[in-house]
Amino acid sequence: MSELAVRYKRKTPRHEIQVTAPQGAVSHVHLPDDNAKAHFVTALLKARGELGEELELFGEPAATVPPTRREKLRMRVGAVSPIVGLMSNLNAWENISLPAAYHGAPPLPEVAQLATDVLTKLGAEPDYFFARLPDELGLLERKMASFVRLLVAAPELMVFDALEDGLSYAECKHAARFEAEYRARQPNGTVLYVDTREDS
Amino acid sequence: MLQALREVEGGIQLSLNVAARLPHLRRAPILESFLRQVYFTGVTAAGGVIPRACGLGVIIIAVMINMLDADVDLAVKILLLLVFREVGPLAAAIVVILRTGTAVSAEMAMMRVSGQTRALRYLGIDLYDYLVLPRVAGCMLATLALTFYVQFLAVLGGLALSPFIIEASFWELTNRLFELFTPVDFFYSTVKSLLFGFAISACCCWHGLNPPDLTNNAVPKVVTKAVTQSMMLVLLINAVFAYVVFGILFFGLVKANV
Repeated sequence: MSELAVRYKRKTPRHEIQVTAPQGAVSHVHLPDDNAKAHFVTALLKARGELGEELELFGEPAATVPPTRREKLRMRVGAVSPIVGLMSNLNAWENISLPAAYHGAPPLPEVAQLATDVLTKLGAEPDYFFARLPDELGLLERKMASFVRLLVAAPELMVFDALEDGLSYAECKHAARFEAEYRARQPNGTVLYVDTREDS
Repeated sequence: MLQALREVEGGIQLSLNVAARLPHLRRAPILESFLRQVYFTGVTAAGGVIPRACGLGVIIIAVMINMLDADVDLAVKILLLLVFREVGPLAAAIVVILRTGTAVSAEMAMMRVSGQTRALRYLGIDLYDYLVLPRVAGCMLATLALTFYVQFLAVLGGLALSPFIIEASFWELTNRLFELFTPVDFFYSTVKSLLFGFAISACCCWHGLNPPDLTNNAVPKVVTKAVTQSMMLVLLINAVFAYVVFGILFFGLVKANV
């Protein structure tokens, strides 16, 4: 049996939510509503469960992880999500390169190369893309910028939170390429698509 | 009362955090943000606002010299005591509050309300490092530069205007000014303007990062509170400085043992 990247449990008066995602696999999670989805994604990003939540990341129970290890655990998780938006006063390039510039790794020329490659494959014109502020980008382009920013950090668990929300059919086809791009760079990475149930 | 204590505690914590993180200014994005802040607060203000503020200062000096029927000594003392020590740093501080204080508090509150500060945390970026430190350090440096600029323009304007009001030449007034000028005047206005810059930016950052709620309605409330409290802090620092350095508070009603 393969190891789990995520094990999550939350009990509310209305629902009992249980999520498991095997390491290295692609999993689809449908949660009952936006609130449950926000709780789940936030718990993953914080590597910490709130009251009534149980979370295990890469086999480690989040509740007992000391703060220094939690920080490392958090860095192994990334999400293309409205919860982790772009900085409105920075252009796309500054947004993409910000974490690398702040943490000092990887070097910025490497980030520029990766971003240019991925954006070109996703059908964008990198120079024009980089120069624009988030407000000047379309919804798909904003998701692309968030995705490229995450690729630089190379997380072991990639969460796509309501990836297709607000996108047209043609744009959804573009967004579907994100997984292949991630897989090309992280062959052993785990992909988790999170959405709400269509009937909710 | 509890809210006021919370604000004081928050302000102290923010100040200590900024002081502890000063070496982080070397990091590329923080340094860039710092330079942007210096440019926005110092350079863009120097173009139009400051000369107008200085012009107003010069007119006040002219009126005072005329009203007090001043001689050379009194005119120079007014320039030194009033313009150099008090009006210069205060005028610069007011410009910084009106331009930078409003912008910083609104920007921070918007970032907080729209979830951008949360996004920074998830990216492993420290808010104090990336948002607060460059703004506070940049604002301090820019306030100091603006103060020198205001002092230079206002004193020069006062010296140029005074010969039309009193019977003294420009050079006579200038020579007397250099005779009366002491290093204390320089250090006094330097330390005071750095403190003004620190108080304004720390206050505006704190209010921006701690809006009363997370709706768009909170933004104007934050700006109003930040600007009002910054102004109060500046006046308080000014009064404390006057008391500590020159031993005079409340127009001489309270005197320090210095």
